[in-house]
Amino acid sequence: MPDSERTHRQPTFSTLEREKLFKFPPKQGSSYKILNEFVAPHIESFNALFDDSGLPSGDGNGKGLLSLGLEDIGERVIFDSTGKDTDAWGNRMRLWIDSVSISRPMVPDRNKYVKDRRVFPSETRERLASYRGRMSIKLCWTDPSGQRQEVTKDCGLAPIMVRSVRCNLRSMSSSELVKHNEEAEEFGGYFVINGNERLIRYLILPRRNHVISLLRPSFVNRGPSYTQYGVQIRCVRPDQTSCTNTLHYLANGSAMFRFSWRKQEYVIPIMLILKALVGASDKEIFEGIMMQDYDNTFLTGRVELLLRSYKMFTMRTGEQALEYLGEKFRVVLGMAEDMSNSAVGALLIRKLILVHIENPREKYRMLLFMLRKLYSLVNGTCCADNPDSPQHQEVLLPGQLYGMIIKERLEEILNAIRTFINVDIRNGSNVDFNDSLDLQQASGFTIVAEKLNWQRYISHFRCIHRGAFFAELKTTTVRKLLPEAWGFLCPVHTPDGSPCGLLNHLARTCRIVTAPLTVAHIPALLAKHGMSEPFSSCIDGRTNLCVQLDGHVIGWASPAVARQLATNLRIWKTESKNEIPMDLEIGMVPPSIGGQYPGLFLFSSRSRMMRPVKYLLNGRDDSIGPFEQVYMDISCTPEEIETGVSTHVEHNPTNFLSILANLTPFSDFNQSPRNIYQCQMGKQTMGTPSTALKHRTDNKLYRLQTGQSPVVRPALHNTYAMDAFPNGTNAVVAVISYTGYDMEDAMILNKSAHERGFAYGTVYKSQIIDLKDMKGASKTGAPTLHFGLGPEVKLHSGENENSCLKFLDWDGLPYIGTRLNSGDPIAAYVDDVTRRTKFVKYKGDEMAYVDEVRLIGEETGDAELQKVHITLRITRSPVIGDKFSSRHGQKGVCSQKWPAIDMPFSESGMQPDVIINPHAFPSRMTIGMLVESMAGKAGAMHGLAQDATPFKFSEQDTAVNYFGEQLKAAGYNYYGNEPMYSGITGQEFAADIYLGVVYYQRLRHMVLDKFQVRTTGPVDPITRQPVKGRKRAGGIRFGEMERDALIAHGTSFLLQDRLMNCSDYSTAWVCRTCGSLISLGYEDISLGEVFAAGSRKPTGPGGEYCRTCRAAAEQEDELERKALETGQQPLHPQGSLSVAISSQNVLGRSSKGGDLDVVAVPYVFRYLCAELASMGIAVSLEIQ
Amino acid sequence: MDPVLRIREYQRDRVNFVLENVDLAMANSLRRVMMADLPTVAIDLVVVEANTTVLPDEFIVHRLGMVPLVSTNCDAAIRYTRDCNCEGESCEFCSMILTLHVKCNESITMDVTSNHLELQPHPEKGIEEAGEEPVRRTENFGLPVGKNDPDVDPILICKIRKGQELKVKCQVKKGIAKEHAKWSPCSAVAFEYDPHNKLRHTSYWYETDEKAEWPLGENAREEEPSREDELFDFNAKPNKFYFDVETDGSLGAQEVVMKVCDTFASSENVADERST
Repeated sequence: MPDSERTHRQPTFSTLEREKLFKFPPKQGSSYKILNEFVAPHIESFNALFDDSGLPSGDGNGKGLLSLGLEDIGERVIFDSTGKDTDAWGNRMRLWIDSVSISRPMVPDRNKYVKDRRVFPSETRERLASYRGRMSIKLCWTDPSGQRQEVTKDCGLAPIMVRSVRCNLRSMSSSELVKHNEEAEEFGGYFVINGNERLIRYLILPRRNHVISLLRPSFVNRGPSYTQYGVQIRCVRPDQTSCTNTLHYLANGSAMFRFSWRKQEYVIPIMLILKALVGASDKEIFEGIMMQDYDNTFLTGRVELLLRSYKMFTMRTGEQALEYLGEKFRVVLGMAEDMSNSAVGALLIRKLILVHIENPREKYRMLLFMLRKLYSLVNGTCCADNPDSPQHQEVLLPGQLYGMIIKERLEEILNAIRTFINVDIRNGSNVDFNDSLDLQQASGFTIVAEKLNWQRYISHFRCIHRGAFFAELKTTTVRKLLPEAWGFLCPVHTPDGSPCGLLNHLARTCRIVTAPLTVAHIPALLAKHGMSEPFSSCIDGRTNLCVQLDGHVIGWASPAVARQLATNLRIWKTESKNEIPMDLEIGMVPPSIGGQYPGLFLFSSRSRMMRPVKYLLNGRDDSIGPFEQVYMDISCTPEEIETGVSTHVEHNPTNFLSILANLTPFSDFNQSPRNIYQCQMGKQTMGTPSTALKHRTDNKLYRLQTGQSPVVRPALHNTYAMDAFPNGTNAVVAVISYTGYDMEDAMILNKSAHERGFAYGTVYKSQIIDLKDMKGASKTGAPTLHFGLGPEVKLHSGENENSCLKFLDWDGLPYIGTRLNSGDPIAAYVDDVTRRTKFVKYKGDEMAYVDEVRLIGEETGDAELQKVHITLRITRSPVIGDKFSSRHGQKGVCSQKWPAIDMPFSESGMQPDVIINPHAFPSRMTIGMLVESMAGKAGAMHGLAQDATPFKFSEQDTAVNYFGEQLKAAGYNYYGNEPMYSGITGQEFAADIYLGVVYYQRLRHMVLDKFQVRTTGPVDPITRQPVKGRKRAGGIRFGEMERDALIAHGTSFLLQDRLMNCSDYSTAWVCRTCGSLISLGYEDISLGEVFAAGSRKPTGPGGEYCRTCRAAAEQEDELERKALETGQQPLHPQGSLSVAISSQNVLGRSSKGGDLDVVAVPYVFRYLCAELASMGIAVSLEIQ
Repeated sequence: MDPVLRIREYQRDRVNFVLENVDLAMANSLRRVMMADLPTVAIDLVVVEANTTVLPDEFIVHRLGMVPLVSTNCDAAIRYTRDCNCEGESCEFCSMILTLHVKCNESITMDVTSNHLELQPHPEKGIEEAGEEPVRRTENFGLPVGKNDPDVDPILICKIRKGQELKVKCQVKKGIAKEHAKWSPCSAVAFEYDPHNKLRHTSYWYETDEKAEWPLGENAREEEPSREDELFDFNAKPNKFYFDVETDGSLGAQEVVMKVCDTFASSENVADERST
């Protein structure tokens, strides 16, 4: 933001102003303009899809990306011959999509009841639907006589970005937005999908149309004689789709050109392309690469090898090369059969090689430049570029991704139609086309914009991801914070943990260019000021630098001239002379020894990050990009300007921080990791998610009922409407070790403060009841389930009325304000078939109130009610175990609610709301919090809103002095200390206590959502051990390590208790004879059937017996009986089970399977025995 | 020496006094009793009959609870429900009924304030041996502090717009602040002794000069600063205590102090009786 826009700060809370703004939102424009500015890249990139985008057209024809994409897709040609006759193709049919259009979201025509056909986002959200507009294409083809035919086809519904050019909220003022049930500050930029707000996250991509040199060891694996050297360029077509071209250096001195097409990679010798492009002679190529640097034997050698390597192709003219390429790629490209080989070759070059350039001659020049850069890299005269540096990066904008996907789909449609027709003709095989988008990921582009609180919500729109591919990378180089990112990516605002350094946030003043610029006149202008034209043949490569504009070689200039040109351009653009656009990036890379490859690189394309600074030469505002910034000297403050060195100065020293990082008060006093933590915790705070809560259907919303405006706030607090969505409470904080309950980051809450409503919060949860998903619903035809109470319930009204009538009305829906406990009915419906009333139960564990009941109808507006959305309100007053934090990364849990009379107090009778331990400070060094405490105290005493903007104080003018004087004026000690008294004894403490006012946030992590405790409860049906998972009332695993600890501790009874008695204690019968656990048989003695059989078989007391042993015994008896009959010796069966048992335990055969014992074993052990038995392993227990 | 209580400044809801010749324990007990042990009445039970305001029920109920109600002579005028013969049913003797019914019919933003709370006759007349409590109540007992007083701004409960309505029935109960902060008659009790730190109970942290960095309070004028040559008397005990009591209006400042003194007088007697 330029200096002039910054308002002068008053030390006021502007309460009345804010209240007025809230009561009467402006009829024109919005209440906070800056909010619309920071989502502009989202919305403008979406608008750019359409022809009526309203964006400046720059050099282009003003067509939208979708139209440009259609141009690029071109037409498909189909012939109707069966393919048997090779000469005749039959009739020729051309097929193309003429135009595509997406309408605003409208109610479908089937609905005959609506007055206003427009659909608004709030309605979509409340209906849990998607905010979509109808997409249609105009499909054209030629009939056999060559006449053009057309048909308009409906392509279904496409999501529409809220507040974009296709949104019905477009350009509404705040007051109109409020009328449409939106926030007054609604800024759009997201899609509504199934009631959720989703947005496409910015993604970092390699800078377009700029050649970067790469040193990648993995290139060696691409094939024989490949080396680690390569140069790469990501070329972007006018429709913003891209194609990456790589030039590999081979060990034999030549180079291979690589591109990918439909997920397949292809490499072509560079010479083939150079020849095919312009039919250049060998001399022309030699001169083009050498550029008069004949002394450079390295270069001459390589170029010679390059030229020699082409001899094997025996092609001399460009036409031959084209035909060769066309022949090889005919099948792959899948173009019309009647195209000549050279036409296919030309198409290949147009579609896949340096696609940002139209003209083959310019492509040729660019390729020569790439070759020169490649050789220079190999030679060591220039270094490899860092692809992880923002210098070589740009941003994938949501609209561009959207456009790419639609383009791909349209191409698919066209190909599908052709395939379909061809299938009809030839009955051939099906083809599955799926063009890759030249991106490294296929999913994970969108995230849900959670409205947890305002800070989290707005930072969604500023976050920028490095790409899902890099998240899995083991190296941490991509995560590094590079100095090049200064001013573009915030160094503070990144999560700690796995996405650290990959998920960044844009600095506050960083913009993204979304519209094309007018730059067509620049080459001529530069030529007028001393640049040589690109076509001149006698340019010395040693003394001239290449001048490029968006990846076109536009000329050559000596370093001095190039530097002068760069300065001229900068002066012109800052003074808006010669129609040089402000967003032109002038990257002057000076010649160096082994540094970045020199040249004057101009960028005017979209998707670049830019940021405002002041140009010192003329004192004007300048806009700079990450490429040029590296070669600039920008001082942070006006005082730091060094004459002769500094070229620019920052508008504001805090501009390099993101919005959230800017909101941390006195962040310059803190140790930097604490500021990182605060950026995380600010986003987890229970705050005010929305002022249109009535119209929100989010799954879970957290709300702080007693939010306050902070006494100590940075200047940007008001700018970003933070006061409209308060996020915490000003608390009187004493830094004292008082009861012992404040150890280890615990904090003590004053019980009276808690009772007076300190940090009182509410959680809103949604429950959706859709009768279509219920059991017994008819999938087709008229609904069979209806909300309401059936006759059998109604009959009982009167003295013995049904208990559900306390909760439900006759329509089967709950009363608003009803208190629900777990298991209470929340809705009732009648089944047509059974004619019974069924109840839907409230399943949560906590007590909840019905806050809102939403009846959700069909789009047609004539269907019966089948779906309701119920918002439940759960009160969450702070309890022991809830998490709080100050704004300095100092989090802690509430450990006690201490009675006010026992709390320490100051001489003026002030009692702290919160007590924290002094040990929280030395190691963490959050001096900002100490300063905030002082500032808050002084601000509260004098009624000032204290400015906490970082970098406002200096060594000469310290914060301590400033606030100390204020405290002194209020009658306090200069350093913020106060004598305090013990609340219990009334005696003065031996030390004076640091007491002040700190803004405290209540974090959303609450014990009620987390506690997990059980005595007995559900068990696993197979193992009978406690299940896991808090939701299922399971236990926390007492694992092996914990077991080891108890063993080491010698507490065996505890071990027994935990692992046996409280887990899966069971008793089992074990056979004393064979030791088996699983061979239990059971005879019912009481029935007396055993006696009926004759002799009583031995059993245990309850009729238990071992089946194995009894069978063995019976078999033996049988054998013995037979032996007695025949007079032979009994034969003992082989392989007796008793092998495993020691002989002392074999008590003889007399027991015959009846000798069993009860043992206590863990149930899993029995299960293990059964499992082992299934594998033929017998487990035998020894019983003593 | 007998305890001396010297009032330095007195307003209706604020009193500043010096207490001399008592123990530190005694003085602190005084402070604690003032803060947490004096019974007052406050809204304790609310039946929300209609609430179409933007604020949720429990939030309005909480706000109602915090409204200070006139509790003059609370000891005699009302019983604790737990001590009442009605056995927790809340009758005339242990509770009062306040109602609030506001509906906005005009196109304005309307304030619902404590002035809208109306005292209603109690439907439960209580049982047996009718107490004298209702008779002992002053005229505005149980009403919000400052109701019908044009000089006092009423307490805002919520704001409503056209078509919104708030109708609640509140039960007023007697209680003490140990149970809930709403029953505390005092908003703050300032307490100080030994302003010159002669007793050296505390040690002032300072950068260069203790005297220059630590501002002296008002109470320092009451005592002589220690002289340079004065020896430290390690046997000295705090003897003079400076109080500043501010009430929320439910009890007058005078009543707070008097009642505290009464409490102590009676408990001393109890203690004496026990000891003899």
